[in-house]
Amino acid sequence: MPKNSIRGGVHPLERQQGGKASTSNTPIQPYAPSVVELSMSLFLGKPSTPVVKAGDHVKLGQVIGESGGFVSLPVHASVSGEVVSVRPKMMMMDQPEMTVTIRNDMQDEWVELTPLGKNVESVDPAAIIPAIQAAGICGLGGAAFPTHVKLTIPAGKTCETIIINGAECETHVTADHRLMLESPERIVQGLRLAMRATNVNKGIIAIEDNKKDAIATMQKAVAGLEGLSVVSLRAKYPQGSEKQLIQAVTGREVPSKGLPIDVGVVVLNAGTAAAISDAILLGRPLIERVTTVAGCVKTPGNFLVRIGTPVSELIEACGGYTEEPYRMIMGGCMTGLCVPDAAMPTGKRTNCVVALTEKEAKAQEEGPCIRCGRCLDVCPMGLQPYRMRNICDQGDLKKAEACDVMECVVCGCCTYICPARRQLTSVFKNTKDAIAREARRAK
Amino acid sequence: MSLHVSNAPYVFSGNTTRVLMRDVVIAMIPTALAGIFFFGLRALLHILIGIVAAVAAEYGYQKLLKKPIRIGDCSAVVTGMLIALNVPAAAPLWITLIGSLVAIILVKELFGGIGGNFMNPALTARAILMVSWPVAMTSFTLPVYGLGIGVDAVSSATVLGGLEATPLQMFLGLIPGTIGEVSKAAILIGLAYLLLRGVISWHIPVIYVASYAVLALLLGNDVLAGILSGGMLFGAVFMATDYTTSPMTKKGQMVYAAGCGLMTCIIRNFGSYPEGVTFAILLMNIATPLLDKYMGAGRVYGKGKKA
Repeated sequence: MPKNSIRGGVHPLERQQGGKASTSNTPIQPYAPSVVELSMSLFLGKPSTPVVKAGDHVKLGQVIGESGGFVSLPVHASVSGEVVSVRPKMMMMDQPEMTVTIRNDMQDEWVELTPLGKNVESVDPAAIIPAIQAAGICGLGGAAFPTHVKLTIPAGKTCETIIINGAECETHVTADHRLMLESPERIVQGLRLAMRATNVNKGIIAIEDNKKDAIATMQKAVAGLEGLSVVSLRAKYPQGSEKQLIQAVTGREVPSKGLPIDVGVVVLNAGTAAAISDAILLGRPLIERVTTVAGCVKTPGNFLVRIGTPVSELIEACGGYTEEPYRMIMGGCMTGLCVPDAAMPTGKRTNCVVALTEKEAKAQEEGPCIRCGRCLDVCPMGLQPYRMRNICDQGDLKKAEACDVMECVVCGCCTYICPARRQLTSVFKNTKDAIAREARRAK
Repeated sequence: MSLHVSNAPYVFSGNTTRVLMRDVVIAMIPTALAGIFFFGLRALLHILIGIVAAVAAEYGYQKLLKKPIRIGDCSAVVTGMLIALNVPAAAPLWITLIGSLVAIILVKELFGGIGGNFMNPALTARAILMVSWPVAMTSFTLPVYGLGIGVDAVSSATVLGGLEATPLQMFLGLIPGTIGEVSKAAILIGLAYLLLRGVISWHIPVIYVASYAVLALLLGNDVLAGILSGGMLFGAVFMATDYTTSPMTKKGQMVYAAGCGLMTCIIRNFGSYPEGVTFAILLMNIATPLLDKYMGAGRVYGKGKKA
């Protein structure tokens, strides 16, 4: 195992620098949408309950959906204006989601904000985690898991290190890269607040070495602060995947079926850390995030996007398409979700929107496995994708579980590398979902 | 505007089956050219017949059985070329034709086509040709450096059959042998290309030759002559590295390659054939499912750790 790197892995779109070149030098610009659609399932967990109705006037940052419990978050108005509708709507998941639509009055009239303190040292540690939940913060790297749950260390476990994930190994995304360059102090404050809340004295900011400028900036930002350091990682996809990042940084492996806390680690995305800083020191809930817009648009860029902004408005902000898009992706090209309709709103997890042309993204026909072994070489988990696919195809979930399909992190490396264009990752994802459903039913 | 929806990932590496097979064909061009240079246009005829027969056999079989036509993946081109490079130039042209038909229909397609066969098609065909027409398959001629098509060269023993040759002659290919195996220099150019393009890794060719060398040394053979003569280098670079019939993990590949090297040496020393490459690789092809079963899995991340 190479130090500061991972097992297996690939370099997607290597010749195009991972598709990042078009946006890595474009500063973050604020963008105000005409309308936002806020789902009550913007995060992983129990959906929120709407507390506004059509016709209401809401202020910026006002709670419009109440948290549904511990593994849940409130939803805040990301613009000020009039609530147009509250209704169930089909979004990216297979079930309709309760959605609040607000027309932006462009006044940006904030609710009253109450910061917990002016600086990190003056904040009451016990107040931090509840305030993070109240601010609606979830992981901004892609999984959207509520951050306060991660920071609540279970009894019997100890957290030794908090790692800030600045790997950003997915294609096209430069949102965290720009954030690290433009707001390093917010990321460091967020990290220190998370450390204060969990009584941890070691914080590591992990960045891939294809972002030398960000490494230098963050090094300057942590200089003189005790317990904080920056680690440079050899760039390789999927290093930003939580399990892989922990291995690259600490050399430890998260146990099978375990959590990062089992090896004394909590991982937070760079954007999440900045959101924690804003929530505690400014009292601001999570109403916007940095989103990269890339692909076949006229002027690709990075935007400070209000949660719930329709993708089509972001495309317009980039001057429209250069070519007819064939596929629109939220997230990167290795793990992102396909947007069925450009009117879909962005969410808290949307780090990137990529429009791809037919030439770039047309699915290719699947051929027979030629047993080249590349899938074994690239699997960061050490699995046997070719064999797992054969077993999953038999439809026996017990057998599939026995060949470790549940360990698959759905990174897409095997499918990316397969010369026969075998559908591996999607079969594993479907099988994992089926096994999880079966387990829930059995309970 | 209609947006297409599917599961991630949405981008792929440029190495498709077709690109990989095309690279193997490119890698064999130097040794094919050397064969044509040494043995005349008759060698080219063998190569063309091999390729055309293999592709036609694959197309015909798939068409007849209403299967998807897969000749576009270029794997039949590789097989046809391999067979031609594995026969002596002086052999009758129909030998290559039969070899291609046997390889494609009997060994590859009947077992499910590309990826499904358990023995290397070209090598199996060569073995069948060798036992069926032993005289034609061992009528080696000295290099003629001509462009003649007829069989006008003098028959000769090979180096393994007792002919004297200097290492330089053997390295350049100025020795009798099959069309593709004689010039080690050309084979090494092909190997460099395959490694550079990432089509194969060094493991199988290097360990094959190294393990042969170790045993040959212990048995008191002339190691250098053993490596530079016969079909070992050709086999180690182009035949033993066949994806379908070699193990999938590096660990398995190393054991497989060591087996190939040792068996080659054992057959050459104790078998009734002067050459052992064909049967050594075929034997290890058969061992491949076993190697995949017991050496196919690495340690899974996080397994065996306490949660």
